[in-house]
Amino acid sequence: MFKIESKNVDFFYGSSQALKNINIAIKPNTVTALIGPSGCGKSTYLRLFNRMNDLIDNTKITGQILIDGEDIYAKGVNVDSLRKKVGMVFQKPNPFPKTIFENVAYGLRVNGISDKKFIEERVETSIKQVALWEEVKDKLKKSAFELSGGQQQRLCIARALAIQPSVILMDEPTSALDPISTSKVEELIYELKSKYTIVIVTHNMQQAGRVSDTTAFFYMGELIEYDNTKNIFTHPKIERTQNYITGRFG
Amino acid sequence: MMMLDENKLAKRKKLRQSIAFGILSTLSYSIIAILFIILSFIIYKGIGVINWNFISQMPEEGMTKGGIYPAIIGTLYLVGGSILFAFPIGVLAAIYMNEYVKDGIFKKIIKQMTNNLAGIPSIVFGLFGMSLFVNKLGFGDSILAGSLTLGLLALPVVIRTTEEALKAVDNTFRQASIGLGASKWETTSKIVLPIAFPNIITGLILSIGRVSGETAPILFTVAAYFLPKLPTSIFDQAMALPYHLYVISTSGTNIEESRPIAYGTALVLIIIVLIANLLANGLRKYFGNKVKMN
Repeated sequence: MFKIESKNVDFFYGSSQALKNINIAIKPNTVTALIGPSGCGKSTYLRLFNRMNDLIDNTKITGQILIDGEDIYAKGVNVDSLRKKVGMVFQKPNPFPKTIFENVAYGLRVNGISDKKFIEERVETSIKQVALWEEVKDKLKKSAFELSGGQQQRLCIARALAIQPSVILMDEPTSALDPISTSKVEELIYELKSKYTIVIVTHNMQQAGRVSDTTAFFYMGELIEYDNTKNIFTHPKIERTQNYITGRFG
Repeated sequence: MMMLDENKLAKRKKLRQSIAFGILSTLSYSIIAILFIILSFIIYKGIGVINWNFISQMPEEGMTKGGIYPAIIGTLYLVGGSILFAFPIGVLAAIYMNEYVKDGIFKKIIKQMTNNLAGIPSIVFGLFGMSLFVNKLGFGDSILAGSLTLGLLALPVVIRTTEEALKAVDNTFRQASIGLGASKWETTSKIVLPIAFPNIITGLILSIGRVSGETAPILFTVAAYFLPKLPTSIFDQAMALPYHLYVISTSGTNIEESRPIAYGTALVLIIIVLIANLLANGLRKYFGNKVKMN
């Protein structure tokens, strides 16, 4: 059984086609890296999994995306519950202009949870999951903007974890972080794998190699190669993949 | 040979740089200078008549003596009333435009209309206010009619600045909130608005400045030449600083004698706008900090 399946997915911004016939199947509790040069469609593809592209006017998708066997673009799908199931972390740390506590509690509150004790527990668990608890436990009532960039990004991951998703999408989550914060987030990704299915967009080849189990290489809206990360990085079947990975074009 | 050319080039570059810099800085300084000259002229001419009586007493002897208290009060009422009308409507309209309406011809038309509204001369607003609020709706010459007319005038300013403020909010905040299962309204009210609010206040500041100085829109809708007592309801007429200034400078009983009062009035008007700006700035800072803390 696959966690995520993408079948013949085409995607259009207006009349220009951004993705062409993408077929991927992702196993649960794995990390999948989406790589490729800027503008290749990998971020667009990532955003299909929680229907984030719905927010952009004049877009169209054909084909199917199944999560847990259900077509998330079928009629009558509750998009809010889909998004509860599929958490997202962004390129730049973007904590809300709220306290550290309220940042993590926000997802619970908007989903109608008001039990104070439950919220407190979930917030604590989530912050512990991202190994941030020791650093922030004494200043939960302080603004999230007081944290460093790396801490903010881990807080954003905690925010996504709080509503207990089963899939986490990460759109270049470390591109705005320093090397130490980056390695912390990478360790975190590795640990989270046991509980979640993770899809990560990255420009960093070493990162893809370090954290992912499978890798998908995109080029000009097409999926060029999709395989175990090890295979992709040691003997890719297609020359273009090899050229990209070794830095001969990009 | 090469060296010489490079030196020449460097010199020429340096010369051009200092000419451009000189022109730009002169222009900037002259703008400050003009503002400074106007201000100091008004202060110089007007400071002499300003004292406690001037701002707390009724006008006397055909407005050649006494104070301008009723005009101050009238202006405060009008500014307050018009903001009360324009601010909520303008902010809500901008939220609708920016957060809800899809890009397309409809949005373009509304945008263009808003811009056109901002370009309409204020006297036209005055005439419109007179025919709609004063006559058609039967409010008469009143604070209500004047406030609504001024409110219309301020509306495009509020809408435009609010739209800019909302646009400045990074889209990933919206996506993060939506991504957690929040609705569009929750996202707008709990995340986007608090972030944009300090900048929305800028719109408030600008519209206060605009509204408090306008004479034409209040000419036919509220302003009184002289009233022996203060207004007691929103259906009363009121005096107002800009109109008072206009009256005593053009059609007073003794224009020469009331000249100092005119400058005093102008100074008070400027001070009121200044205080309003400072207050709004304080508000902006306060909300700026609150946004980070909530």
